[in-house]
Amino acid sequence: MVQLAGYIAAAIVFGIGLFGVLTQRDMIKICVGLSVMDSALILAVVSFAYRPGGAAPIVDGSATVFVDPLPHALALTAIVIGAGVLSVALALAVVVYARHGTTDIAVVFRRRR
Amino acid sequence: MRKRSMLGLAVAVSTAVGFAVLLISFTTTDVRSPGIASRLLGGSVPASGAINVVATILLDFRAFDTLGEASVIFASVAAVGAVFAGSTMRRSDAGLSLLVRRSVAYLAALFLLFPIYIVFHGHLSPGGGFQGGVSLAVLLILLAVVFGTRRAAGAVGLKRLHDTESLSAAAFLAIGLIGVVQGVPYLANASAGFPRGQAGSLLSGGVIPLLNIVIGLKVASGLGSIIFDMLSMGGE
Repeated sequence: MVQLAGYIAAAIVFGIGLFGVLTQRDMIKICVGLSVMDSALILAVVSFAYRPGGAAPIVDGSATVFVDPLPHALALTAIVIGAGVLSVALALAVVVYARHGTTDIAVVFRRRR
Repeated sequence: MRKRSMLGLAVAVSTAVGFAVLLISFTTTDVRSPGIASRLLGGSVPASGAINVVATILLDFRAFDTLGEASVIFASVAAVGAVFAGSTMRRSDAGLSLLVRRSVAYLAALFLLFPIYIVFHGHLSPGGGFQGGVSLAVLLILLAVVFGTRRAAGAVGLKRLHDTESLSAAAFLAIGLIGVVQGVPYLANASAGFPRGQAGSLLSGGVIPLLNIVIGLKVASGLGSIIFDMLSMGGE
């Protein structure tokens, strides 16, 4: 049940992020949309790991049921790569703002034509 | 414009529904092999001596993958540096009031405790090099906001940040070679002679605490370079 709620939440958040990327014209808002989609995927991966009543995968003898540790390790990889992609995307947005005085890609493309 | 956002809404909703159906189909048809999770949970302490299974996966079983992860940060630092090279933007660089500056100057050493704890206990509790390095980089943002970018960059030293990043990347590679010298795989842990230690104590986990410290330094200096590149836009 918790897992199902996690999947549905991940799908909704992914849809919100995709809507932002598709419809916004401001580069910063597109970056926010990318970041939201990234978070949705991490939410989905963490939901995969869920076990009913499972503890965090620290085997110090205080619990017997643990959540699956492998998705957690992969989520960490996804977070790091998401941060790297986001930093490069924001850097490009800053450069576009410095050159054109706006981060609206429609305005930038119209001027270049 | 209105037509485009309607189209975007339709695409987003249908993708979300498809994504949900895909994910929910995983719950009905169990695609996971049930053996992997229990093997990882049971094999962590015998393999490395670290009680944090996620740390063992990242820095022992899949350490080579983590090396790739660290090089992703290196690549994004290089890309941000290349994008900002030569371009500058005028902006105010005043810092905050005297009261804030003095109190942060006294508290900065205290703020260092949290990242150090996160890095050094990476094999015992949730955390590790990546998380601790990020919280150390947040401390750099705090310094830049409070003291102004130029003074913070002068105090930290941009060259020192770049040197730390390169040296910690080299240290990661060198630690991996210790295994190769002894005829076991690259980045091997216990089989390369690193002591497992008493599980649950600070000195356990073999190579894992060492790699956590190296990764913490690398992430902190890498993200620090990105932050100062963005704040100063490449120009001093």
